[in-house]
Amino acid sequence: MTKRVREHKIETPKEKQNRHKAMEAIALLEKIKHDFKEPPKAMDYFYTLYENVHCKRQSLHPEKVKVGTMCIQVPSEIIHALDAVPLRLCNGFYTDDEIGSDLLPAKSCPLVKATVGQFVSGNFSDKPDLVVSPTTCDQKAKSGAIIEEMGYKIFDMEFPRTKESAESREYWRRSVRKFTKELSTDLNKKLTKKNLKESIKKVGYAQHLYHKLTTLRKNESSPILGLDMFLVTNAFFFDDLDNWVKATSELLKECESRVEDELNAATKKSPRIVYTGSPPIFPNLKIPLLIEDSDAIIVADETCSSNRMFNDMVSVDEWFVNDMVDSVADRYLKGCTCPIFTKNNDRIRRIIDLVKEYKADGVVYQAFAGCQVYEMEQRSVLQAMEKEGIPIIYLESDYSPSHLGQLTTRIEAFIESLKNRRRKKQ
Amino acid sequence: MKYFVGIDIGSTAIKVALVDENEELVGHKISASGSMFYKYAKQSLNELLTELKIDEKDVVYTVATGYGRKLFKEADENISEITANAMGAVAAAKGECNIKTIINIGGQDSKAISLDDEGTVVNFAMNDRCAAGTGKFLDVVAMNLELEVDELGDYHFKSEGAPLAINSTCAVFAESEIIGLLGNDNSVEDIVAGVHYSIAKRIIKLVKRVGIKEGIYFDGGPALNEGLVYAIENELSKEIFIPEFPQITTAYGAAILAHESYGYEN
Repeated sequence: MTKRVREHKIETPKEKQNRHKAMEAIALLEKIKHDFKEPPKAMDYFYTLYENVHCKRQSLHPEKVKVGTMCIQVPSEIIHALDAVPLRLCNGFYTDDEIGSDLLPAKSCPLVKATVGQFVSGNFSDKPDLVVSPTTCDQKAKSGAIIEEMGYKIFDMEFPRTKESAESREYWRRSVRKFTKELSTDLNKKLTKKNLKESIKKVGYAQHLYHKLTTLRKNESSPILGLDMFLVTNAFFFDDLDNWVKATSELLKECESRVEDELNAATKKSPRIVYTGSPPIFPNLKIPLLIEDSDAIIVADETCSSNRMFNDMVSVDEWFVNDMVDSVADRYLKGCTCPIFTKNNDRIRRIIDLVKEYKADGVVYQAFAGCQVYEMEQRSVLQAMEKEGIPIIYLESDYSPSHLGQLTTRIEAFIESLKNRRRKKQ
Repeated sequence: MKYFVGIDIGSTAIKVALVDENEELVGHKISASGSMFYKYAKQSLNELLTELKIDEKDVVYTVATGYGRKLFKEADENISEITANAMGAVAAAKGECNIKTIINIGGQDSKAISLDDEGTVVNFAMNDRCAAGTGKFLDVVAMNLELEVDELGDYHFKSEGAPLAINSTCAVFAESEIIGLLGNDNSVEDIVAGVHYSIAKRIIKLVKRVGIKEGIYFDGGPALNEGLVYAIENELSKEIFIPEFPQITTAYGAAILAHESYGYEN
């Protein structure tokens, strides 16, 4: 018997990874676009953006210097002021998680594995020219060194583990000053009163838009799904700032008129959820998807891939360069509710505030298996919620697409219990 | 001249292969299993002999294999399709590729077989009696997309977007997923590519259970689907060997065994 004639070349490892990522991305987008009530038209910008970046591998910043950031704690105002683009590299792809698994311990956090995995594959639609790695959680801090070994330029940014003390504040301010100085030298750009003020205002305006948009979700009829909001906020990781602002303004306008028309993205019966814990990052919106698929709606979140990026604005006393740099630094330390801190009562307070302000029926707390700090803080958050009489469910998950069955059952049961609770109250 | 016959009675098709004393394939026939396995198998064999102008008496040894092998009473011997598949694959690739791993996708099941250096079966795995990732599954997909099964391969290569994966492991649920994708105005090409990659991923899980060793052979009707072949190669990142007649490997193996058994007995 004869062998067939080969017409198509087998994919290179890189092509295969890209196809896997494209398939992950499109599968999620298809669900968000079609499994729910019609989304706001302005969401099309974001759907197309994800498709362009992850399926068509389109570069968004071909001309610019790109500064990769390993964590939310890197001040984007400084990077913008120096005419570079910050790209947050926290990654949600299972394909990259599997690649990163070869380098990291089996019980590591999937987000860190996926982030490292992307460096291993080198598959970036916009490749960072240098990478800033803040010493926030252990796994991220250690990953910086692994990435450096691969030949990337890394800047370790020291970050304190307490935030109440005067020492930690000063320590972090010095760290930000050092970062500013080194980045400025590296990029050969001077930080001026003008460019820093402009970038503070620009990022501040984006935050303002987010606030206005998310406030609309306080209405009994939330005009937008939590899933769509995660897409909007996740896009802030990598999108061109001006384009993001433009698209979000459009979305805001549309959502305002949806509120007037009492258009509800879910139904009046749908329990309202506050989401907290390890960050949902595209395309790992697995848990939010399960929640909203089970007839609940996420009305607010306390995560570093969404609310925490926008919540606190820079507040400047004096518009001089050094004062502004310090004010920028303060925003990132004082407002941060990351569980890496020794004590973290701010986070509990914020969750309770969100539940009250957004009239939520319950809280979903999700931790990535391997994300120790979120796993550890689960206890104190659960206790605090119990004290307040707020229903909460704690879930552990990772990026793997299998074993959804058990998670689905738990989430459905939780949502049903919230519905019952509401019925009894009425 | 003496002839040796292998008959593979599968869930969907009956395959008959006939070899001579040199174990050269003289002819073969593929027909639908229908509802009467025995009758159709007999009919198929007779037709083949007529076509080849071979007298029934010259067929000295017959081995039956496959799902319906026990129904074919005239057979001198019957063996499991796993053994027959392994023998057929090693013989079909002889001189071109040293087969160590076999992927077989049939009408109703899929298998992965691992061989040692001598071509003996060391391990195998089968899917769990579910049509997902089998030939039947491709039939259902083609029907939903209003295509013929043999058009699927071409459509795969016309896909321009990202392949749209089918997540359901059940053929019935997958069908509704496909209808959903069509309803959302997705291109048939992207759906076809997605289906192929979904099957490929499932098959690879099966192959991993027995271990992936190079020298990979793929047979069964779906191996005629170049799109599926390509998807499996991409998922494995390895070349696979496709025989000239992928559907008859098992029947061919049975025919070779018929020759060997005959030699042993006489």
